[in-house]
Amino acid sequence: MRRFEATKKVMETIGDELVVCNIGHPSQELFQIRDRPENFYMLGSMGLASSIGLGLAMSQPRKVVVFDGDGSVTMNLGTFATIGRVAPANLVLVVIDNEAYGSTGFQTSFTAGKLDLAGVARAAGIESVTVVDAEDEIVPTMRRVLGEHGPHVVLVKCAAGMPDGVGVIPIDGLAIRDRFMATVRG
Amino acid sequence: MSTTTPTPSELLYRKVRAHGIDFFVSVPCSLLGGVINLLEADRDVVYTPVTREEEGMGILTGAYLAGRRPAIVMQNSGYGTIVNAICSLVGYYRIPTVMLVSHRGSEGEKIEAQVPMGEAVQAVMEASGVRCATVPHPDQLGRVDEGIEWALAEERPVAFLFPFSYWKVADYTPEHR
Ligand SMILES: Cc1ncc(C[n+]2csc(CCOP(=O)(O)OP(=O)(O)O)c2C)c(N)n1
Repeated sequence: MRRFEATKKVMETIGDELVVCNIGHPSQELFQIRDRPENFYMLGSMGLASSIGLGLAMSQPRKVVVFDGDGSVTMNLGTFATIGRVAPANLVLVVIDNEAYGSTGFQTSFTAGKLDLAGVARAAGIESVTVVDAEDEIVPTMRRVLGEHGPHVVLVKCAAGMPDGVGVIPIDGLAIRDRFMATVRG
Repeated sequence: MSTTTPTPSELLYRKVRAHGIDFFVSVPCSLLGGVINLLEADRDVVYTPVTREEEGMGILTGAYLAGRRPAIVMQNSGYGTIVNAICSLVGYYRIPTVMLVSHRGSEGEKIEAQVPMGEAVQAVMEASGVRCATVPHPDQLGRVDEGIEWALAEERPVAFLFPFSYWKVADYTPEHR
């Protein structure tokens, strides 16, 4: 299972949740798998997907699902401390852990070595941390966490690599923002 | 709030709240203790401390997307950690964040290492697309009104720098870093 297949499985469980997606290929893949106004594609600001999701979760009642990457979340490890402290019940942080910086050519990342992101999350006070390494565990895991009070961290262990033919997102930042804000307002 | 003469922190806080700013994050500075105390006591705002100013800009973006009016309380040195978030997130998606910034390295600074960033901050802000105004005294808090109105109308970030002169008397004890 690569990031693409994992993202597809997670999206099978998504109803009206707000989704925030990591920079680069992860957002491009999500756009191809299932574009919807409730998706916020973060096209810059590497590391801040979980923070955007946290701000959303603190500000309104809908559930928020964040797709982050192991490389990006490692750039913002403080996010675990803040999520642990704020403890928003409506936040699910999905970390796609392919042990690589995928968008820039799959250079090896820190989780290929000694970094244990699930351990970091737990040590920061996040009680619900689930590690998933089989594709068929994703849907039941997501269904469970979406039905329980969070915050939740779901770490999905993936292989590096991506399919051919995934392209740049054809809508610009303001369009992404405006349709997202309109759907949040309801 | 007290019935005696309001402190510079109270004046600033009331001013910002009057614009409907209702979501805050902060990283401490000795000059900001008073504002942070007011924030912690205010039941009508959403507030959390953050580990780093850059993380704060992400959180403020999420808050704005959900219809809030967000602000960060920070020291000018924190601006050095957030330029990419300013350009590629807040600037790119046009998120009007209000930045209340204590200006270390300004006149009266006792810590030499604060001076270089203190001197650079305004130019770095402007180069990264943030409108910036200095408020040297509570009498000039009208600049905050103008700046916030502009930011909300233009959907652009705005920063206010508060040098030592602003906080004089009430809030600052030089032993505190
Ligand atoms: C501040 C910053 N540094 C570096 C980059 C280049 N960059 C873009 S995406 C990325 C890799 C992200 O890796 P990860 O979060 O693990 O996601 P993956 O693509 O592997 O799914 C890097 C290094 C950037 N855009 N911004």
